[in-house]
Amino acid sequence: MSTATAAGAAARAAAPPIAVRARDLLGCEWTKFRSVRSTYWTLAVAVVTPVGFSVLVAVTLAAAPARGAPPDPLLPGLLSLEYAVIAVAVLGVLAFSSEFGTGLIRTTFAAAPRRRAVLAAKAAVTGLVTLTAGELVAFVSFFAVQAVLSGHHLGVSLSRPGVPGALLAEGLLLCVCTLLGVALGAIVRHTAGGIAATLGLILVPAIAGVLPAPWGPRIGRFTLVDAARQVTALHPQPDLFAPGPSLLVLLAWPAAALLAAALAITRRDI
Amino acid sequence: MIELDRLAKRFGPVTAVDDLTVSVRPGHVTGFLGPNGAGKTTTMRIILGLDAPTSGTALVNRRRYDTLVRPLHQVGALLDATALHGGRTARLHLAAIAQSNGIGRRRVTEVLRLTGLEAVADRRVKGYSLGMKQRLGIAAAVLGDPPVLMFDEPVNGLDTEGIGWIRQFFKELAGQGRTVLVSSHLMSEMALTADHLIVIGRGKLIADMPTAQLIAANARHDVLLRSPRAGELAGLLTARGATVAPQPDGALVVTGLDAPAIGDLAAGHGIAVHALVPRQASLEDAYLDLTGESTDYHGSLEGTPAP
Repeated sequence: MSTATAAGAAARAAAPPIAVRARDLLGCEWTKFRSVRSTYWTLAVAVVTPVGFSVLVAVTLAAAPARGAPPDPLLPGLLSLEYAVIAVAVLGVLAFSSEFGTGLIRTTFAAAPRRRAVLAAKAAVTGLVTLTAGELVAFVSFFAVQAVLSGHHLGVSLSRPGVPGALLAEGLLLCVCTLLGVALGAIVRHTAGGIAATLGLILVPAIAGVLPAPWGPRIGRFTLVDAARQVTALHPQPDLFAPGPSLLVLLAWPAAALLAAALAITRRDI
Repeated sequence: MIELDRLAKRFGPVTAVDDLTVSVRPGHVTGFLGPNGAGKTTTMRIILGLDAPTSGTALVNRRRYDTLVRPLHQVGALLDATALHGGRTARLHLAAIAQSNGIGRRRVTEVLRLTGLEAVADRRVKGYSLGMKQRLGIAAAVLGDPPVLMFDEPVNGLDTEGIGWIRQFFKELAGQGRTVLVSSHLMSEMALTADHLIVIGRGKLIADMPTAQLIAANARHDVLLRSPRAGELAGLLTARGATVAPQPDGALVVTGLDAPAIGDLAAGHGIAVHALVPRQASLEDAYLDLTGESTDYHGSLEGTPAP
């Protein structure tokens, strides 16, 4: 403790390179992320529920008598993702809202006054974990569902064109939703409000889908729900954006939300 | 070294900090004193770059806080000891803060030992008492071994032993040449802890001087006197330059002469004295005198509607 001024002077003299500072903040956020139980609970819900649910949907599809066109073999996996979406949205919101709720955010921003860097670190840690979990869910669900469907000659193989892309997109979808949560948690600063705002942003624009033609698809193609459907379907709907532009729509939502969050957290008192 | 220059912060119509210019120097424990709502916490938040000042500047070691790289090596602060995630252990809470400033795990263990939390370091902090949380907050503040330290109401929730420990700890930190700023709304506490005092009320600077000087300048000394010939004695005292305030019960309160001088004067004129009581205003009274004009919320039963 007797080296106070010397240590202070040394720290001032040698500002560490940006890569080191990024590593510092990523390490800090990773430690916070892995050191609370809520992380494990929400991730467990995000992984276990959709895998189980998709198998259930597959069994129902296989048991139902075939009428009209055969169902999209990827549909069970996509339907069951809704549960995971809610869980990862909560996980994203908590990244900031739990710190605002407890006041810990002041310690965080006093330790790292560059608030946008903190936002980036939280988004990176939560986003990467959720992306990993999302891909895990997508591929595990896929193999489980196809194991059920193939017995009824309804399944597809992973090698079929379009399938790997659709599965990767399913995993990405969870990452997109958690990043929306991170951004809205930073803007709303309150857990319940942040969750409501995130789910609202995901679900409410989907109302556009019930507008009379041609307005329904014209507006709907810009919504998260329709964009998600297009990038994860084996047979995209012709009146919406193609998977390529839909992917851009999908990425534009969290990008815009994170931008808004970056403006909000730097301008407001904490 | 903390330097505030014409610092002001307004929240709508409310002025929390009003044209505050003051320096906090190294090597001292400086008490930051004021009634609740005087603007102490807001000032500290501005120093830490958490709140943006409406006008004026706050510098730490001659730099704005938000330009500091790895700021915990420059400034350590404890604002609110309860600002913790209850599900995290003390060790991981400190580890996360340490990592953000490139501080190693060994230092985390060191500050846990320093604050006496080693035995409970791997327990979730939701089970901690307020005193333990205060220690954890202090551990976080000293993580980066900074030359400037700020503590907002650190004594709250500590037991007698803890208070003794913290006073000694602050003195040691100041003794090592650090700048130590400690806020409190309790004059009696600060009189024992701080050797320099900055007093504010309604955001304005009221006093900035060594503790001893502040006490001497503001403490009131007077003498309560009872005598069967009070009126006659009052005339003699006034002639000697004392100020005499007659009380409703016939006693006199004398300032400007001490008790022996009054006694001698009375004896010299053959006047009997029934009571001669030197009175000294407490520190708390001196503080109330200073801040009395600037307390925002006066407790009063008058004007309260009957239930």
